Amino acid sequence: MTTIRPFTCEDMLKFNNVNLDPLTETYGLSFYTQYLAHWPEFFQVAESPSGEIMGYIMGKAEGLGDNWHGHVTALTVSPDYRRLGIAATLMNILEDVSEKKKAYFVDLFVRVSNKVAINMYKNLGYIVYRTVLEYYSGDPDEDAYDMRKACSRDVHKKSVIPLSHPVRPEEVD
Amino acid sequence: MAVRPQRIQDAVVERRLRPIYDWLDNGNNKKALQEAEKVLKKSPTLQAARALKALALLRLGKASESHAVLDALVEEKPSDDTTLQAMTISYRESQQLHKVCEIYEAAVKVDPSNEELYSHLFMSYVRVGDHKSQQRAAMALYKLLPKNPYFFWAVMSIVLQAKTADDSTKRGILLSLAQKLVENFITDNKMEAEQEARLYIMILELQEKWEDILKFIECPLYAQLVPASTTQACIPYYKKIGEWKKLNLLCKDLLWDNQDRWDFYMPYFDSVFQLMNKPDSDNSVDDSPEKCHEFICSIVENSSGRALRGPYLARLELWKRLAKDGDPTLLLGSGVALCVQYLRVFANKPCAVPDLKPYLSMLPQKEREDHSRDFLTCLGFDENSEPDSIKDIQRHISCLLAWRLTAPMGSAEENLNVAEMLRRHYLRSLQRGLVTSTATEFCATDSYGILAAHHFFYAAVEQENSTPIIEALNLLELVLHHSPANFHAKLLLISLYHILGNATAADSIYTKLEVKHIQLVSLGWLHAARLAPALASPRALRLLADTTTFHKHHAKDSVEQVTYAYKFGTFEKVLEVWEWGGRIESCAWCGACARERQLLALLAGPSQAPQHTVKLPFTPTDNRDLNAIVSWSSTDNDRAAYKERSFEKDVAYLRLKDGLLSAIVLCIECADNRSVEMKSSQLEQLRACIDAFGSALDRCQRLYGERENLNVTAPLPSRIIAFVTSPVPYRELYTNTLRMVCELCAGSSNAQTFAEPVRTTLVKSREHLAAYALPTLWQNRDALEFFSNYLEFIGVITYLLGVCNEHLAPAHAKRNKKKASQSPEQIQIIEILSKLNDDVQETIAILEDIFENWPKFDYQSSLEAELEKLTISKYQTPVEQKLKNGLDDVLADVKNILKNKAKYLKSLQ
Repeated sequence: MTTIRPFTCEDMLKFNNVNLDPLTETYGLSFYTQYLAHWPEFFQVAESPSGEIMGYIMGKAEGLGDNWHGHVTALTVSPDYRRLGIAATLMNILEDVSEKKKAYFVDLFVRVSNKVAINMYKNLGYIVYRTVLEYYSGDPDEDAYDMRKACSRDVHKKSVIPLSHPVRPEEVD
Repeated sequence: MAVRPQRIQDAVVERRLRPIYDWLDNGNNKKALQEAEKVLKKSPTLQAARALKALALLRLGKASESHAVLDALVEEKPSDDTTLQAMTISYRESQQLHKVCEIYEAAVKVDPSNEELYSHLFMSYVRVGDHKSQQRAAMALYKLLPKNPYFFWAVMSIVLQAKTADDSTKRGILLSLAQKLVENFITDNKMEAEQEARLYIMILELQEKWEDILKFIECPLYAQLVPASTTQACIPYYKKIGEWKKLNLLCKDLLWDNQDRWDFYMPYFDSVFQLMNKPDSDNSVDDSPEKCHEFICSIVENSSGRALRGPYLARLELWKRLAKDGDPTLLLGSGVALCVQYLRVFANKPCAVPDLKPYLSMLPQKEREDHSRDFLTCLGFDENSEPDSIKDIQRHISCLLAWRLTAPMGSAEENLNVAEMLRRHYLRSLQRGLVTSTATEFCATDSYGILAAHHFFYAAVEQENSTPIIEALNLLELVLHHSPANFHAKLLLISLYHILGNATAADSIYTKLEVKHIQLVSLGWLHAARLAPALASPRALRLLADTTTFHKHHAKDSVEQVTYAYKFGTFEKVLEVWEWGGRIESCAWCGACARERQLLALLAGPSQAPQHTVKLPFTPTDNRDLNAIVSWSSTDNDRAAYKERSFEKDVAYLRLKDGLLSAIVLCIECADNRSVEMKSSQLEQLRACIDAFGSALDRCQRLYGERENLNVTAPLPSRIIAFVTSPVPYRELYTNTLRMVCELCAGSSNAQTFAEPVRTTLVKSREHLAAYALPTLWQNRDALEFFSNYLEFIGVITYLLGVCNEHLAPAHAKRNKKKASQSPEQIQIIEILSKLNDDVQETIAILEDIFENWPKFDYQSSLEAELEKLTISKYQTPVEQKLKNGLDDVLADVKNILKNKAKYLKSLQ
C-alpha cells in the first residue's frame, strides 16, 4: 500500500522515522539537494496512505564506457514498514531508470555484517562482485560488499563476473 | 576549499600558484598569504596571485585589506578564469554576490567570445536571483554556441520572471513567450532531453493549459524523451479537465497491474465519485459505489500469493468517502467490522495499526468506543493472553494498539492497570526469551513496553503525580537496554525525562540518536528547545550554537544548490531547491536559536557582547517534525491544528526575544562615548524598541495566558506561557531596566526615574520565589522553567549594569580624573546604580540559597521488585542515578553561575 513519488526537499523534514534507524545515515543538506538536482529520477520515496515516509532510495548514474552504471547510494525502509516488499519496489524503480539510461549494470555497497540486506539483494538478483576492505569507517572499520546486477545492455553479463580478490577503497572508482 | 585553475595556459604560473591553493585548502591561511606574497615579489602584477592573496586575507579576518586588493583588481577588469574564480570565492564568503556579477560583466566585455565567462556570468545572476539578466546572459551564450542547455537556461529564466511578476498581464506575456520559444524549438526538432520536456509541461501548467499538456504527453516526442511513463503522466491532467471517464478506465488498468499503489487508488476514487453524479452508458466505467466495490473485491479475489494491503484499505477509503454525505453501511456494512476485518488479515505486520489509524478516527465515537474490545478480541486474544511466538506477539500487539486507540480515555486507575498489564507482558516475554532484537533491529515485544509507557504517562497527568513517569522511564530504559536500535523508546525517554525537568538525563538518550544537520531543525523542539528552561545552560549553549552554525552554513550554500540544478538541466528542481532554501532561511527555530544563544550567554556563557542577528523573516517557517513520536491516544486526532497553535505561540515568543535582544544591543551601541547628538537617532530607536517590547508583552499576556495540557508525543507547552503567566512582573523589570540604561546613555537625569522602579520591582519580585522553591518532582519542570526566566533577567541586568559602569567610567585609568569632574547628577546616578547592584546581589544570594536547598526527590520504582519476581535480576536500572546526577549537575552549575555573577557585580562597585 504505497505511493511512489519523487523525493522532494520537504521530505527531509519528515524522514526522521526512517533516518533515526542506526544503519541509516543522515547527510548534510547539500548532499541531498545535489542528488535532487543531478539525478532526480534516481531519488524516490515510498509514502504510506497517511502520508508517512515508509522508505526511500537515492542513487545516481556514473562511469565511463562499459562501466556506465546505476548506483544505489542509499536505500532505507522504516522499521515499521519492513517485510512488505518496499525495498524491492524501490530497487525495481532504480533498475528501470538505469535501464532507461542504458546502464550496463546497477551496483551498491553494503556492510558485510548487514545479513538482512545482503540476503534481500541476493533475492533481487544481485551478486557479490567484490569485497572492499575497510570501506566503512568506525571502530573498527568495516568491509563492504560491492554487489552488482547486470542490466539488459550487458548482454554477456561481463559486469557481474566476481573478482577473486578484495580491493581497497581507493581502488574503487 | 579554493577552486583550482582549470585552464591555465601558463604552466609556470600554475606551478607558482599551486602552493597557495594547497595552503588554502588545508585551512592554513597564514601560510597561503606568505606564499602569495612570495609569488607577488617576483611578479607583482600577477592577478591570480593577488586574488588568492585577497582570499587568504579575508579568511584571516582582514576584510578591509582583502577588499582593497579586490577593488584594485576590479579596476583592471580581469578576464582570466583563475583570477575570477578566486575573486568569486572571496565575494561569496563575504556575502557580496552582486560583485561577482560585476566582475563577470566586465570580463565578457573584454573577452566576448568566451563561453566559460558567459556561463559564470549566468550563474552569478542565478545566485542573486536576477532572472532578467539571467535570460540575457543565457541568450548571449546560446548565440555564441547554440547548445540546448543554454537555450533552456534562457527559457527557465523567463519562467522565473513570470513566477515573480507582480501583475498577471506581465506574467501572461512572459509565459506565452516561453511557450512560443519552446514550441519553435520543438518544430525545429531540437528538443532532446526529458527535463526539457518537463520544463515545457511546467510552462503549460503555469498557464493552466491542461489540454495542451495532454496533447504533448500523448505525442511520440514525449514517449521518446520520457519512455514508459505516458499513461501515468496523464492522471493529474485528466483530473484537471474533468475527463473522469478516461481517468476511471486508466486507473483501473493501472490498478490491475499494481494492486498496492495508493497513488492510483486515490484518483480512481475521485473519478468514481464524480461519475456517480452523471452515470454513463458505458458499462466498463465504474460510476457507482456498487461497481467500485465490485472492482475492489475482484482485485482481492484475483490477487495471488500474499494478501496485499491495497485493496483492503481501498474498501475503508470507499467507506470513508461514502460516509461524508451518506450512509456507507448499506453497501459496506459497519465501519467497525471493516476495520476489524483489516486487522484480522494484517495484524501480523507492524504497519497494520498505523495503516488503520486514519480510518479508526472516521468511525462515530460512540460506535468506536462501544466496540473497542472487538479489536482486542478479534483474533482470539485478550489483555491476559500470553502469546509465545514472535508472530503471535506482533498480532497481540496490533490488537492491543487498536483497542487502545478506540477505547474511551480511562481514569488514572484504569490507565495504570493497563500500563501494568502491558509491563507484565513485556517482562514475561523477556523472561521467556521472546525479546529478539539485535543491535540494529528492534522487535515486536518492544511495543508492549512503549504502549505501557504511554499509559503510565496518561495516569501521571491525570493524578499530577510523577511516580508513574518514573515507572515508564524504568521500563523504557529496560526496553532500550535490550533493543538499542529502538528510536521510539529513545524519543519517549527524552520526552519523559524532560517532563520531570531533567534535561541532563534526557541528554544521555539524545546523544544516542545522533541527531544532526537538518534534524537539528526538525527535532529541535524535542530536546534543544527544552535545555535552557531546564537550566541545562552549557548543553543548551552547545546545541543552540550547533543549530546556528548549520543555519549559517545553509544560508551560504543554498544558492549554490540552485546553480547545480541549472548545470544539470533539472529545471523542475530549480524552483524547488530555490523555495526550499528560502524555507530554511526563514526557519523560526533557527531564528530562535540565534537569539536564545546570545541571551543565554549573558547568563551562562563566556562574556561576549551580544550582536544584532539577521533580521527576523516576515513569515517565519515551521519546520518541526511533530510526528516523530507516535501517539497512541484515542483523543489525539487533530495534530495539524495543534501544530498551528503551538507554532503561533513559539513565534510570539521568538518576536519577544528578538525585541529584547535588539534593545540590549542598542543599549550597548548607545553606551559609547559619542556625543548625545551623534547618537540621538539610535536612542530614539532604542526607546521605540523598548516600547514595542512592552506592548508586545502585554498582548502576549492577553493571548497566551492559558495553561496547556501535557502531551508526551508533542512539544512541551510553549515557553511563552511560563513567561507571561509568571507572577514576576517582567514587563516592568525589563522595560524599566532598559530605559534606565537608555536615559543614562542619553545623559538624561531621567535615568533615576527608571532606576527606582527597577529596584522596587526587583525587591518585590523576590516574594514570588518561595512559592517555586520547594517543588515536588511533578512540579520540578515548572519550577525550573520559572527560575530560568528569572535567571535570564538576572543575566540581562547584570550585564547591563556592567554596560552602565563602563559608560560612566570608560577607562580604568581615567577613573580618578573623572571622579573629580563628576556632576552632582552623575554622583547621584552612580549611587543609585550601586544600590541597584546591591539589590541584584541580594537577589542572587536568595537564589543561591534556594538552589542550595532544592529538594531531593525520591525516584523509587517498582520495576526492580517485578524483575526480581521473575528472576531477571541481573539488570540494574540507570534511571535513579541519571535523575539524581542530572539534577545535581544542573544545581551545581546554576550555583556556580550565580557565584560568578555576584563576583562580577561586586567588581563593578
